[in-house]
Amino acid sequence: MKFKKVLTAGAVVLTSAAALAACGSNNSSSGGSKKSINWEESAEIPTMDISKATDATSFNQLGNVTEGIYRLGKNNKVENALATSTKVSKDGKTWTFTLRDSKWSNGDKLTAKDFVYSWRRTVNPKTASQYAYLFEGIHNATKISAGKAPVNSLGVKAEGNNKLVVTLDKRIPYFKLLMGFPLFNPQNEKVVEKYGSKYGTASKYMVYNGPFVQKGWTGSNLSWKLQKNPNYWDKKAVKLDTINYSVQKTPSTAYNLYQSNKIDAVMLDSQQTKNLKNQSGYTLRNTAATFYLQYNQKKKLFQNANFRRAISMSINRKALGNALGGSNTPADSLTSKGVVNYNGKDWSSIVGSKEYSLYNPKEAQKLYKKALQETGIKNPSFSILSDDTDAGQKTTETLQSQLEENLKGLKVSVSNVPFKTRLSRSTSGNFDVVVSGWSADFADPISFVDLFTSKNSNNNGKWSNAQYDKLIADSKVTADTTKRYDDLEKSEKILLQDQGITPLYYKTEAWLVRPDIKGIVYNGAGLNYNFKNAYVSGN
Amino acid sequence: MTRYLLKRIFYMILTLFIVATITFFLMKLMPGSPYANEAKMTPTQLEIMNKQYGLNKPIWEQYLIYIGGMLHGDFGTSFQYSNQPVSSLISARLGVSVQLGLQALIFGVVVGVFVGAIAAMKQGTWADSTATVFAIIGKSVPNFVLAVILQYYIGLKLGWFPIAGWGSFSQTILPTLALSVGPLAETARFIRTSMVDTLSSDYIELGKAKGLSRTEVIRKHAMRNSMIPLVTLIGPYAVALMTGSMVIENIFNIPGIGEQFVKSILTNDYPTIMGVTMVYCVGLVVILLITDIIYGLIDPRIRLTEKEA
Repeated sequence: MKFKKVLTAGAVVLTSAAALAACGSNNSSSGGSKKSINWEESAEIPTMDISKATDATSFNQLGNVTEGIYRLGKNNKVENALATSTKVSKDGKTWTFTLRDSKWSNGDKLTAKDFVYSWRRTVNPKTASQYAYLFEGIHNATKISAGKAPVNSLGVKAEGNNKLVVTLDKRIPYFKLLMGFPLFNPQNEKVVEKYGSKYGTASKYMVYNGPFVQKGWTGSNLSWKLQKNPNYWDKKAVKLDTINYSVQKTPSTAYNLYQSNKIDAVMLDSQQTKNLKNQSGYTLRNTAATFYLQYNQKKKLFQNANFRRAISMSINRKALGNALGGSNTPADSLTSKGVVNYNGKDWSSIVGSKEYSLYNPKEAQKLYKKALQETGIKNPSFSILSDDTDAGQKTTETLQSQLEENLKGLKVSVSNVPFKTRLSRSTSGNFDVVVSGWSADFADPISFVDLFTSKNSNNNGKWSNAQYDKLIADSKVTADTTKRYDDLEKSEKILLQDQGITPLYYKTEAWLVRPDIKGIVYNGAGLNYNFKNAYVSGN
Repeated sequence: MTRYLLKRIFYMILTLFIVATITFFLMKLMPGSPYANEAKMTPTQLEIMNKQYGLNKPIWEQYLIYIGGMLHGDFGTSFQYSNQPVSSLISARLGVSVQLGLQALIFGVVVGVFVGAIAAMKQGTWADSTATVFAIIGKSVPNFVLAVILQYYIGLKLGWFPIAGWGSFSQTILPTLALSVGPLAETARFIRTSMVDTLSSDYIELGKAKGLSRTEVIRKHAMRNSMIPLVTLIGPYAVALMTGSMVIENIFNIPGIGEQFVKSILTNDYPTIMGVTMVYCVGLVVILLITDIIYGLIDPRIRLTEKEA
């Protein structure tokens, strides 16, 4: 009998604890006011220091809490931000920006000197910025990064408080796009010096000049918020009071939170994409990333263009997309879809090779036989290297079965290794065929085609074509925009005709975003999310 | 006792030193660099960065610098989180994992003892069979499966507890339940077996013959002796639970150390890998020592020193 009493007492205690806890749960629901939204990030913020940021999460934050010369609008349209006017010299090497009067969130006046300080700090080798390479082309930037020139010799100077003059070593056709990337935003010297090594390691060790200020990020926590900045020069255009952020690492959790109205946007995994395609709020985002095969040109088999073409034509990219699940799109160009719009057309549709990037097993078999004759190789075999992620494994498995089925007698093995191992093996040329991916830092074809010039360190397969190199080099110096795009178009077509690389798919993200949230600007390259003009409709 | 403790502490320090050394050299065998943007950096830039972080020095020199720093309590700064000292990164996250681990351990062990005891006392009845089935399920269903089920049904459908997050006590309930199922099942199984043995002992019969009530026999005699094997079990469980579970932390958006450790390995964040490994290791050796001491306290037959034995 006594035992039953103990049992009953235990049960009562447990139930009461549960009931008490359930009462407490009301406090935890996130803000629901109509001028606030609840957004998800897929990873923690590694840093808020402009000079140290390397990842999308950091840049997404920095792009919304700081303001630079320009801000990127819809379709990468460059819009004036702190700049009121821009003057470019005839040779395209001197840029003069006139800046508007504006303030930092601590009330300090923002001047052209803040840009000079920020840029010098980033290229200074002591800062050890991993993004300093984007300054290449600005006078002396590369030399300074290598420690071969003094930091103050960088081609940027302040003339008074409102004039910023930038000198370039060579014309940079995409310079305007760069100026819209948060890496080039100003930093407040006084604040950087004051916080020292703590600068940018938490919300409180930062100062802001963007549409929002950040609160509650403590260094490695999983939730924080952005609040409207009362000192922002264009605060009237900012409609949201708060953006509540939380880091979501498990898609099922994120979707559960979305269903219970705790978050307003959720990135979907492949299974969810399949199931939720028709739900309202389903949104596809082109991430400006392309996945492709690189061939090791030191191996005889891969020096043969017909062999590479045979491989490309044996790949059923649609089936590969289905195997990967999600929303990835079959690729027939290197430059990703939705990155560059030229004369009203998407660049990928201008350069995309229908000739060799389409599935055609019959033609592939012919080219394959021809390649074997040309090389004299009787029992061809090779290995495909990729990441050990789910996508990496599905890619290699699918390619293996498609290639062995369509190219008779070919033996394909697969090797799936951790990301870092794949990277180091790619760099050292320790592979036959490797599945690589590239995402653009700015919306210009050069950020893709530059990769496969003979001397580029990212050209892991060492594919080389003199005409290609020349076209890319020409495109970098010409003042004529039409000629530049012609050069870029020709070069990418050469690469695809020759199958120097074989495009596989463009990475696309599927999201559910609450339909009443409007005005968010998403760009795949550069700053992904611009919330400046975002609002909740009906409010 | 003091001599024994001193000896054990000496061995603990030796163990930590050996672990630090092995981990350091194994870590350096991992491919790749700790730079997030490695894919886009040129070889010259990599060289500059390596120089900046002292990674261009011979490995033995890096090792000496690291050990020297560690002796002064300096674990270095993280690569993943720019400029964040590893010590503050660990302290911010370890507390969360320890709290969750302790809650799960206490809940699991208390309920496990309870369930195990009922099963033993009601041996052969429906209560015993139910407890056994429960223990088997608890042992064989991975905690993350349970986590997802709890989150969906109790969090989303019934709305009793928050789906995810960290900050209020209510947010700890579902992850605690998910994490505690392992120790709960294990404890129940252990207690049942050991109590069935104890209950058939002569001294229990004697107690009953003396006229002690059933509860008193269980509480004073059977329970204490049945608990001894549990102590060996709880020690390692405590370390495993308190050092965090990556999967549970990810499912419930908990800022714990488990996920951080895995991420530091994947990103070659050398100082964080070393720091977390050392914290884990200290936790393990200290808990093992405590286990040994407790062992001696609850079972006087087990002596701590050779002399006493």
